[in-house]
Amino acid sequence: MAEEQETQFSFPAKYRLTGEMEGCTDERKLELFERLLKTREFDARMRKLFRQGRFEGTFYSQIGQEACDVVIAYQLDKQDFVGPSHRDLGASTGKGVPLKYLTAQVYNRVDSPDGGRYTACHYWHPEFWVMNPSTSIVMNWIAATGAAFGYKMLKKDNVAVAFCGDGATAHGDFHEACNFAGVHRLPIVYVVQNNLWAESLPVALTTALTDLNHRADAYGFPGVSIDGNDVVETWNTTREALMRARSGAGPTLIEMKTYRWHGHSDIDPADYRSDDEVAHWMERDPIPRYEQYLREHKVLNDDALVEVRMRIEAEIEEAVDFAENSPRPAPDAYQSHVYAEAYPGFEFGDRNPGGANG
Amino acid sequence: MAEITYIDAINRTLHEEMTRDETTFLIGEDTGIYGGVFKATRGLLEEFGPDRIVDSPISESLIAGMTVGAAMVGCRPLPEIQFADFISPAFDQIVQQVARYYWRTRGAFEMPITLRCPYGGGVGGGVFHSQSNEAWFMNTPGLVMVAPGSVRDAAGLLRSAIRSQDPVLYWEHKKLYRSLKDDLPDGDETLTPIGKAEVARTGSHVTAISFGYTYQLCLEAADQLAEDGIEVEVIDLKTLLPLDKSTVIESIAKTGKAVIVHEAPKVGGIGGEIAAILAEECFWELDAPITRVAGYNTSFPAARTMEEHYMPSTAQIAAALKTAVET
Ligand SMILES: Cc1ncc(C[n+]2csc(CCOP(=O)(O)OP(=O)(O)O)c2C)c(N)n1
Ligand SMILES: [Mg+2]
Repeated sequence: MAEEQETQFSFPAKYRLTGEMEGCTDERKLELFERLLKTREFDARMRKLFRQGRFEGTFYSQIGQEACDVVIAYQLDKQDFVGPSHRDLGASTGKGVPLKYLTAQVYNRVDSPDGGRYTACHYWHPEFWVMNPSTSIVMNWIAATGAAFGYKMLKKDNVAVAFCGDGATAHGDFHEACNFAGVHRLPIVYVVQNNLWAESLPVALTTALTDLNHRADAYGFPGVSIDGNDVVETWNTTREALMRARSGAGPTLIEMKTYRWHGHSDIDPADYRSDDEVAHWMERDPIPRYEQYLREHKVLNDDALVEVRMRIEAEIEEAVDFAENSPRPAPDAYQSHVYAEAYPGFEFGDRNPGGANG
Repeated sequence: MAEITYIDAINRTLHEEMTRDETTFLIGEDTGIYGGVFKATRGLLEEFGPDRIVDSPISESLIAGMTVGAAMVGCRPLPEIQFADFISPAFDQIVQQVARYYWRTRGAFEMPITLRCPYGGGVGGGVFHSQSNEAWFMNTPGLVMVAPGSVRDAAGLLRSAIRSQDPVLYWEHKKLYRSLKDDLPDGDETLTPIGKAEVARTGSHVTAISFGYTYQLCLEAADQLAEDGIEVEVIDLKTLLPLDKSTVIESIAKTGKAVIVHEAPKVGGIGGEIAAILAEECFWELDAPITRVAGYNTSFPAARTMEEHYMPSTAQIAAALKTAVET
């Protein structure tokens, strides 16, 4: 699969987007495009850097699924709560977290929001209310539900958005969270990105359902299934779901059908899937489809695109420099913030009591 | 001054603290309309309403885990697990999320959560209503655990836990609920410090180290042995995590002998951690083997005869203390 194809688009008319984006000015349409493209370019760049061995661990590419995260995150207020999972780069880029914090996170450097102690690639930022995602699948679904409860109890106007994958919907926490949110009509939007695979597990072995929106039927709130690679449909659906949440009408579950182009993580060759399947989905790439839509609506032209690309390129360049120049954390820097309070008996431990360090 | 029970002290403290802080809310099973299966939360729904007193569905993972998001946005959550035995469905959320979130975010988000766990045997409950499963959580940095063994601490530790910025598992012993009474002045605002054990009774011959219900048994055993001229020092641990090492170490430096008592099975119980601390830090002060009087390494039995056999008794504790002194 050519590297090229990730960022150089052709315009497949047969998957043309139609319809209006409700309540979206041309300016915002363009800004949304920039965030989508930025997410794509950033991801592609990180994959390249990983293969060059510039950072340790691995990388969870979101390429192909960007619209599912970015379109809803872009619409949120800063104080709105986001509970992402392990593949939700777009939750951060969509909400406007500066790329330098994301590169620092990928590199586990001191300038990442957690100073390199947590987990590479698990993007978050406290000031942007993107919570630190839990690697334990769908754990954050419950935390985001708790945040929605908190907003309601404290009579704040904010909403929460939670993200998970198709595989995660089999977990008990998925059910406990949705069920509770339904009972209490919490201000939350649940986004399930059905990319057909949970690591190597095909969705048919996760569930007997074809459309995951039906999961919502069990919780007494609306569920919809949409093409998560169609920015216009995704915009209109998420916008309505957010309005429902804000107006006190309760939760919505949105299944977004999408596809991850690459392996589960960048050490996974993904040889469990067919080339035809991958090709089928690459033709439905959300970004060129949206680009074409914007051109047709005279929101974007060649000159504007060049400008957008230059801005993105510069920010990525700066962010990579920032991370590469950010120091590695001191070896014992993880030994702070175990507890918020002081306890006389707490100590980090001593491997040589009575000895030189004792 | 009115004499009140251990469970009334809990109930009263919940009323007071929820009045004091409007960001608190309580969530648990049958905690609202029913006032709790033990009535620990009675009257709260009437006073604070359904927004703050939440009758949860049977979803322990949700009860424990939703507190993280709620705490992040400014609440002070008071979740309750109906019986500590049912905490296992919530284990993932407690050890991976609640306990670590402050660390994970390098201090960006504090987790002022108090999770109440009614635990312990002696109430004829069988294996799902009797366990002392506190040791399941000992290997979890970031978590605080307290276990009151007196009426005063039932109030004082709960108050401190609720006001703390750390996540606290509060272990309330079911057998003490109505069997223990004490004077607790109205409007008392004593805060029992978290992280501090207390030498509840001084003695020079041997130290009994315990918490919760078995702490009360240790006091009884000490009374009995006093008649034979044996002076037992009794330590009420109060906080199980992080353990107050220095109070225990200082006592052993004085008595040289330690008997550790708890209800949970001996293998992997908290007693093992205390014994290890003593072996590491006061080996040269010890002049008898460390003894543990603990639950047997089986599941907790139902029939009264078996239950009585399973629970550590005052006589067994007294015997162990006496053996240590005579060594
Ligand atoms: C509780 C838990 N079990 C297993 C894993 C290992 N794991 C990480 S991601 C993943 C697959 C998730 O699939 P899905 O929810 O569809 O999300 P996707 O990776 O496709 O975005 C698995 C099994 C985990 N992180 N947490
Ligand atoms: Mg998936």
